[in-house]
Amino acid sequence: MADVRFEDVDKVYDNGVQAVFDLSLNIQDGEFLVLVGPSGCGKTTALRMVAGLEEISDGTISIGARVVNDLTPKERDIAMVFQNYALYPHLSVGDNIAFGLRLRKTPKKTVEERVQWAARLLGLTQYLDRRPKELSGGQRQRVAMGRAIVRQPQVFLMDEPLSNLDAKLRVQMRAEIGRIQRELGTTTIYVTHDQTEAMTMGDHVAVMRKGELQQMDTPQKLYSDPKNLFVASFIGSPSMNLVEAQIVRQNGGLVARIGDQELPVPGELSSARPALTGYVGRKVALGVRPEQLEDASLVRDGANGNRLRGRVVLTEALGSELLAHVELSGKPVVTDDVLEGAVELEDAMVDDLAQKADEERTTFIGRFVAASDVRPDHVIDMVVDTEKLQFFDLETGNAIRAGE
Amino acid sequence: MTAIDQTAAAIPAARPATKTGPRRPKLRDTWWRHVVAWIAIVVALFPVAYIASAAFTGNPSLAGSSLIPRHLTLDNFKKLFSPGNSTTDITSNASNYPHWILNTLIVATSTAFFTVMLGALAAYAFSRFRFRGRRMGMLGLLLVQMFPQMLAVVAIYLIVVHTGTVFHVLALNTLTGLIIVYLGGVMSVNVWFMKGFFDTIPAELDESARVDGASPAQVFWGVVLPLAAPVLAVIGLFSFVGVLNEFIIASVLLQSDKKLTLPVGMRGFIDQQFSQHWGPFAAGVLIAAVPVVILFMFLQRFIVEGLTAGSVKG
Ligand SMILES: Nc1ncnc2c1ncn2[C@@H]1O[C@H](COP(=O)(O)OP(=O)(O)O)[C@@H](O)[C@H]1O
Ligand SMILES: [Mg+2]
Repeated sequence: MADVRFEDVDKVYDNGVQAVFDLSLNIQDGEFLVLVGPSGCGKTTALRMVAGLEEISDGTISIGARVVNDLTPKERDIAMVFQNYALYPHLSVGDNIAFGLRLRKTPKKTVEERVQWAARLLGLTQYLDRRPKELSGGQRQRVAMGRAIVRQPQVFLMDEPLSNLDAKLRVQMRAEIGRIQRELGTTTIYVTHDQTEAMTMGDHVAVMRKGELQQMDTPQKLYSDPKNLFVASFIGSPSMNLVEAQIVRQNGGLVARIGDQELPVPGELSSARPALTGYVGRKVALGVRPEQLEDASLVRDGANGNRLRGRVVLTEALGSELLAHVELSGKPVVTDDVLEGAVELEDAMVDDLAQKADEERTTFIGRFVAASDVRPDHVIDMVVDTEKLQFFDLETGNAIRAGE
Repeated sequence: MTAIDQTAAAIPAARPATKTGPRRPKLRDTWWRHVVAWIAIVVALFPVAYIASAAFTGNPSLAGSSLIPRHLTLDNFKKLFSPGNSTTDITSNASNYPHWILNTLIVATSTAFFTVMLGALAAYAFSRFRFRGRRMGMLGLLLVQMFPQMLAVVAIYLIVVHTGTVFHVLALNTLTGLIIVYLGGVMSVNVWFMKGFFDTIPAELDESARVDGASPAQVFWGVVLPLAAPVLAVIGLFSFVGVLNEFIIASVLLQSDKKLTLPVGMRGFIDQQFSQHWGPFAAGVLIAAVPVVILFMFLQRFIVEGLTAGSVKG
């Protein structure tokens, strides 16, 4: 067991591509850290540097008390699960799992015991004599896990281990990996591009973009308190609604003007974010999570101020709730941060977004209770939970929080 | 990835009685394949039948031989293995046939073995490591391959003569000398071939083994070589057969009768103007074919896989 520390780590590949910039991370002993970010942001590179499969161009990585920069993978006492499992096709499941132990000249009896132990933990006992190609995807994934846990290394490294599985199995294995990690208490670095996976699995989640760490926090903090527009739009599904808003002072308080509508900024919020007063008279990016919106016709005590009116363009009934896409006037935020963060958007939607920006129309997604009977083309009011509004500087993309 | 898909797809098909599995093709649609196959078999076996017939009849010349021997005899075989040739008209060197067989087996086996080993080492380096001169090395190998080895016969002869004065094991008229020359001759094409195959073995397997604690040598012997077995079998077989057929270099480098390989020795049976010995010749080549056939049967499984390279499972 050990902690893992990145200190100002850079990675420049031989072809001159810099994949990781100045990465500093501190992963506690026994912690499950998820590295998440869009594809190509340097997650795999960071992980492979810990494994010793990729040289560290600058900075240091330490495992426990040892700086491992110049150690071979073997000396680092880690185990890695690869995206395509990398099982040895010519060896049986049992031999695959035992491979690392045998290389270390572990006594035969211990090997036997440990393989049995790992197989039991993963439900592989009856498959030990099979070849990898005689297994299903989920079983292969388990074998890859087995190969990692059997050696009881100091650190587990996993590179998108579930991305080759179908959706249902992925959810199941997600839980299982979490269970095993908790049971063994082994420090784990887990790489994924899927923010849902990151949020459900990690003790802490580190969000990366273009080789740079954006924010490392608990899933809850990441969701409720994103540091910048990229994190705000990357984390959460559906994404945070973002619209340009003008901050104006009114009756001693602050008001956010969205198109031709206004939302009052609660006093507590503006005092918790003193920097906001510096933006009076300027435009900011205003963020609203879908669950902060509710169908006004279903809210009794509707404080009249906190409302936005718009036209419903699409509804998605999910049974437990209803997602309403509501179009209102106001300019959507379409900076690079947002486009890159909102990985769910397809190209056509990006074009659509650009066009809407020109027309100063924006679409909010609201997560309404299932009882809501809004239909497309209805013009409706939405009640906004203004306590949790988020504000970002349009230029830097940073969250507007404490003083400058 | 694709390899995984393939194997995954192969699993249900392997189970018996899957209703959705591909139907067995109807003979009505495929009869022409059988016709082609049978024609090919007949064409291939015809010369073999002729040789077999010549080997088992007493007829000394080809002129009078027929496809179906009238009376069978083992005389030709006996002649090959009987020293002293008291009763036969065979030339004295016939008694060296056992030597030739042995020489050929020694040369072919060692050439095949070392070709595979050296080639695999080189190919592994070219496939996995990035080092200065890698590209040039690969191109150099290709370039060398463009000249037929025959062009180099004179040079090879001179080199062997001179090396032989220093290293006696590599001198003219030694099997070791011949083996070394053979090893150099086919190395480059084999390295290219094997590198192509190694490239299809996912690098993650190497990396996974390294993380598991394997040294580069352990990765090579424990992971890569076993997976490359098909291509090793193919290369081994081809170089074995290649040596079995090689005439020119062997005839230049080997001189004394007892040192000859089969092709060179056997030629003595039929190049004499007045005493051609087609019978013993036929018997000799028939025997020579046996190891190749055995090898083919032994390696068949690999060869099919190796020739359809790229199907290594990830
Ligand atoms: N071996 C390599 N040589 C050169 N560039 C690479 C190599 N591996 C990755 N890269 C580049 O580094 C960046 C980060 O890649 P990677 O770490 O694989 O991203 P991720 O795992 O987040 O998708 C990408 O721009 C990629 O093109
Ligand atoms: Mg990756």
